[in-house]
Amino acid sequence: MSMRTARSLLAVLLVGSAFRSTEAQDPRLSNRLDAPTRKALSAIVDSARAQGIPVEPLMEKVYQGLAMGADGTRIVVAVRSLTFEMGNAHRVLGAVATTDELKAAASAVHAGVPAVELGKMKKQSGLRRSLTLPFTVLADIVSRGVPVAAATNAIKSLVGAGAKDKDISDFQRNVSVDIEKGAQPAAAAETRAKGAVVPNPKEDREHE
Amino acid sequence: MPDWGRTTLELMVQELQHPVRLDESFDRRVMVRVRRVHAERRHRGIIGWLGAAASISRRPAWAAALAACVVAVVSIGITRGTRTPAIPTGHAIPVQFVLVAPGAHSVAVVGDFNNWGLNDTALVAENHNGVWSVSASVHTGVHRYAFLVNGKEWVADPTAPRAADDDFGQPSSALVVEASTQ
Repeated sequence: MSMRTARSLLAVLLVGSAFRSTEAQDPRLSNRLDAPTRKALSAIVDSARAQGIPVEPLMEKVYQGLAMGADGTRIVVAVRSLTFEMGNAHRVLGAVATTDELKAAASAVHAGVPAVELGKMKKQSGLRRSLTLPFTVLADIVSRGVPVAAATNAIKSLVGAGAKDKDISDFQRNVSVDIEKGAQPAAAAETRAKGAVVPNPKEDREHE
Repeated sequence: MPDWGRTTLELMVQELQHPVRLDESFDRRVMVRVRRVHAERRHRGIIGWLGAAASISRRPAWAAALAACVVAVVSIGITRGTRTPAIPTGHAIPVQFVLVAPGAHSVAVVGDFNNWGLNDTALVAENHNGVWSVSASVHTGVHRYAFLVNGKEWVADPTAPRAADDDFGQPSSALVVEASTQ
């Protein structure tokens, strides 16, 4: 057996133990998940690890399912779906994306935003700008009825204009209030995006 | 390889692939230095020049070690510059959760930050006027969560972004805790 084969075998053995070690530490997993569910989840976790996808969000999804009283089949479906969405996000965002960015991006993908649009945003914003909050807000406004294209354009324009997380958080709050008051979702997002990043004269003076 | 190791290596490779940008005075400073070294060598004569040349060619291992150290220091700098905020990732920050539920007997906040433990973080009704709140330590990052009212009804936080992935038929919210929120 070559050294390369031995290393590969060792890696497979190590990643394969990820779910099983968590299972051993938390009695909720072994007590409340039946054997077929545990086996299916273990395989998904192993597959995610092999693709370089962080597995912590997958475990959180399992815990969420258990807390909400979901059965094993539904938990497996949810974890598989999250793995697929995180995999899509991982492919377009690259290895520099943090676990939080991938998790937020997966939510946006789940809401219906094409992963490629998230990749464009990452390229546009540069590597140093975390897009965790922008992706979270994008998923939120789509789930509130803003069409995917309008929501994506709004977040893109905010990120492109250098909006800080606080600006984007305010944008989310304003859009949700506008929609609750009866505004058309697309119009609320477009209008609020235009006014979200207003130059601060005080800051401008400080830079001069 | 662990995730952090892979990420650091990729960052190193990425950084090393970037073209090196030098300021305009660099050429001038290099030439001044070259002329100075050349003048010194002329003063030392041919023996000194040969000695200086030999000291480089005999120590490739040391040069490689030095280069590795430089790469390591640079990579640590890159990692700190891009990933580590003022508060290290994973630092717990107190976050206040509030839910107005006048008719409730009990309210708990349950989410990624407490591994969805149903009884881990109970809210308290201040003055029994229906405003339930609790301050919990939450690590930096993005979390899904929901309120559990009376031990059976799941309620999303009306003041927070929605988590789009309601896979289990119950609403939940998203919380992004940044280091700067402190």
